Amino acid sequence: MVPLHFSHLQSLLLFALVISLAFGTLGRRKPIERVKYAAWSFAMFVLVGIALGWLMYPFSR
Amino acid sequence: MTGGGEAEPSAARAVAVALAGWLVPGLGHALLKMWGRALAIFLTVGFLVYLGAGMRGNVFEPGGEDAFARLGYVADAGTGSFYFVARALEISGSDVSHADGDYGTRFLATAGVLNLLAALHAYEAARGRKA
Repeated sequence: MVPLHFSHLQSLLLFALVISLAFGTLGRRKPIERVKYAAWSFAMFVLVGIALGWLMYPFSR
Repeated sequence: MTGGGEAEPSAARAVAVALAGWLVPGLGHALLKMWGRALAIFLTVGFLVYLGAGMRGNVFEPGGEDAFARLGYVADAGTGSFYFVARALEISGSDVSHADGDYGTRFLATAGVLNLLAALHAYEAARGRKA
């Protein structure tokens, strides 16, 4: 298969999106609750990921 | 037959549903006629495996030398039959010398853990518990 190349941010966004959709589908019953939970989960994945990235930045060199 | 004896077929069915869900992502929920969740699990696990293999992540083999490799194998094997799909897709082998491969390794492991979670969810649903 053709090798896939993504930047760090693209990988983070892709990961957050796919997992959030799965969490929303598995974790809630009503459609509106699923959407809310998936959106919240996505936002948390991205925000916490970026925050951790910045926290680790001083030790990266 | 006692009340405890009557519950056994339900438990056996739930285990069978969970095993089916582990072997083929989404099949456990499909057997319970939870079509939306079945499709979501199949597509999510399949997509993560496709991404992980495409990014040349490490597909761990059994009998790893250290705890990390063994744990990685458990996570990868969580995808059930998709483990072999990942190995078949990764014809040029893994390459974790770049960030892509490292992310790919995590994508593959996440696919496995997510599928195990889904199989557990199917088990709980088959037992009649709120899921």
